[in-house]
Amino acid sequence: MIDQVCLSDALLEGAKEVFGTMIFMDIEESSEPDQQIEGDALLGSITFMGDLEGCMAICCGDSCAKTIAANMLGMEPDDQISRDDINDAIGEVTNMVMGSVKARLNGTVGNLNVSIPTVVRGQKIENSLGDPENKVSVKVNIEDEYAAEFLLLYREGSG
Amino acid sequence: MAKSLMIVDDSATMRKIIMRTVRMSGLKFERTEEAGNGAEALQKLGGSPVDIILCDVNMPEMMGTELVKKVRELDSCANTKIVMVSTESSKELIDGVMADGANGFINKPFTPEKFQEKLSPLID
Ligand SMILES: [Mg+2]
Repeated sequence: MIDQVCLSDALLEGAKEVFGTMIFMDIEESSEPDQQIEGDALLGSITFMGDLEGCMAICCGDSCAKTIAANMLGMEPDDQISRDDINDAIGEVTNMVMGSVKARLNGTVGNLNVSIPTVVRGQKIENSLGDPENKVSVKVNIEDEYAAEFLLLYREGSG
Repeated sequence: MAKSLMIVDDSATMRKIIMRTVRMSGLKFERTEEAGNGAEALQKLGGSPVDIILCDVNMPEMMGTELVKKVRELDSCANTKIVMVSTESSKELIDGVMADGANGFINKPFTPEKFQEKLSPLID
């Protein structure tokens, strides 16, 4: 089975690439493993199939999601941005991080077929996902201001 | 000569980012169009073909891979260049879509330099 360190490295590096080149926000692994996302949160997720199957997800707070969307759209965080636009932006971030992770895992797990992303809103949604054995979680700080989490839930696939 | 561009992507955010990145790359287009999926793109192309299509792969309704085949059946788009813009990076997919008639492939995430590098040879 693929080693979890390799997966979490791919996840963090993939996220850094996307945030650096497309969102223009700095992202660092959190030094507090117990960090929680307070209040309403958005969860963007995307499924994959192949030698490895499961889902990749991004979870961040409402205001973080709004800032991400504003940066992607070239707007100011104080500008009016609709919920649909925020969901669309988070969906696209999910899509790109998955693409970046997939490219990094290419030599290890072979090709993965990736779905179209879904975005849901709720509270403490990140905690409800998966059991630790088949889960990799990377907690990060975005721009030293927002807590966010990247998750990979996986199992060996049927190819 | 005035050039025209169509951006096909199911994400409105991504269409805006691509538009901005094209602008940042220094490339100039007289006319720009957008479509949210392959079917919408085909409908718009029927009325007025474009010089360059930037096309996502994973989209509902009609995938980008399907759109490439359909565009290549249109006489009016014989000179249209199609560049895929996708998070997909598998060799099989890229080889397949190039064999079907695409003219280039840009990976997401991308930079303005990448657009400049891949698009300018197709414009001159
Ligand atoms: Mg898409």
